[in-house]
Amino acid sequence: MLSRYLSQPLVKTSLLFTLILAVFALLAFLLAPLLMPIIISFALYAVLEPLSSMLERQGLSRTTSSLLVLLLLVIVSALAVSLFLPHLLSQLGYLQQQLPVMWNTLLESFNRLSLFFSQSLGFNLKDNLLQPLLDQTNSWGKTLLIQLSNILINLSVMTILVPIFTFFLIRDYRQIRNFFLDSLPNNSFELGWLIYARVAQQLQQYIRGIMIQSAIMSLMTGFGFFAIGLDSYILLGIVAGILNLIPYVGPLLAMVLPLLLVLGQSPLDLWLAGAAIGVILIAQIIDNVVVIPSVIANAVNLHPAMVIIGIIIFGNIWGFTGMVVAIPVLSTANIIFRGLYQGLQARSLYSENPLPAH
Amino acid sequence: MASQNYPLWHNLFRSKGDDLSEVTRMWMATPLFEQIPERKCRELVNTMHPRHYKAGEKIFSSGDIGASVVLIKKGHVEIRAGDKLLAELSEGDFFGEVALIVDEPRTADAISVDNAELIFFLRSDLDEWIQRSPRDGAQFMLNIAKVLAARLRHTNILLSLQAE
Repeated sequence: MLSRYLSQPLVKTSLLFTLILAVFALLAFLLAPLLMPIIISFALYAVLEPLSSMLERQGLSRTTSSLLVLLLLVIVSALAVSLFLPHLLSQLGYLQQQLPVMWNTLLESFNRLSLFFSQSLGFNLKDNLLQPLLDQTNSWGKTLLIQLSNILINLSVMTILVPIFTFFLIRDYRQIRNFFLDSLPNNSFELGWLIYARVAQQLQQYIRGIMIQSAIMSLMTGFGFFAIGLDSYILLGIVAGILNLIPYVGPLLAMVLPLLLVLGQSPLDLWLAGAAIGVILIAQIIDNVVVIPSVIANAVNLHPAMVIIGIIIFGNIWGFTGMVVAIPVLSTANIIFRGLYQGLQARSLYSENPLPAH
Repeated sequence: MASQNYPLWHNLFRSKGDDLSEVTRMWMATPLFEQIPERKCRELVNTMHPRHYKAGEKIFSSGDIGASVVLIKKGHVEIRAGDKLLAELSEGDFFGEVALIVDEPRTADAISVDNAELIFFLRSDLDEWIQRSPRDGAQFMLNIAKVLAARLRHTNILLSLQAE
């Protein structure tokens, strides 16, 4: 009775899937301190691997082509850092000086608004709406600052680890992958490769797409903020690009920082606030109409509701990193479960009713 | 090739290059690689997956989702539909090529008659190769179409003979 129940395709798939999840969860737990550099290295691998393969086809060895690609990565990063870092640091310093002033201006504005509502309408806006909102914003701000400082601390570690991991991934990933997949038993070998190919294709499409999309968003918003005369345009552009890695929620969060910067200025410049929102909205429209359909269409096979729930849950557990990896992780899990179920169901179905051969 | 599962004593006298050349020669002799340069075929063979099967072991079953075409490097393979023997294949023959085109379940069982060494050419590797070498990829797809057309014609003749 139990063995019959366990041989049902759905039960078998669920058991296998749970086992795979457990293995990945154990790996994630063991590699927790190195997880961020590994994720970034995999993203860079997805982008740089075609270049390395192209060099290899020109007759270079795998090691030489990987080294050349790594050299290119280091040169491009060094150029970008030398070009933008001084501006970025000065903008960060300016922001650091301005934040307390902006916060006080915002509090004063809220207090004036609250007083107006209680005097004219008799509604205590401060206790009912503004105070909880301010508390929440304050707590988000603190969390963001803590995470930002953690990121900065980890940045030095990553500068060393990411190029090393990326080099070894470009050089050896295929061999490691073949070793594991070819170790599968004869009866699961093809199914294993089939599921792997689907996951790899989808992840590669998604990672390449989202990186291109983020770069375009950074450029568009950065130029937009520069054009309307907003301070810290480089920083705000980069933040908008990074937040764009989070689907649906990211673009909304991207509006918060420029808006706070504008609203915190004294005297309040409503035109600048409207223009800042306009820049983000125009960038969003271009992103949705032009960029997404051409670079990441069909890269995610998840229902929008599942995406939002996933982002909230992953974000709650692992913070910003969780929000960024939620989509690729859920998408991978979805493909693995569907692939396993399709394979096991077909095997059980056709063993009971064989097809006429042709 | 992607992995070498030979016993140690086997490897002592045999280099990877020899295996690569031998498998390349075998694929080049099939209609799938007609008019495709040997250098390109060798590049592709380098990504293929050799596997070993014992006598009587199932290679795939009817209903399995196929992902590759299989070349027999050594040994014999039977293609069966239930109890009916459809074909007996030997060294240099290939089977399962439909899986390179569609994501459909296999329509017959493939069983190793003796200890066999098979070379699996996966659709995912073919897809990558087509992106890298579209011209040779197009030729390869034309070759598959010719093989499938020949098999269809053969099946039609068999069916018409059965009807008579």
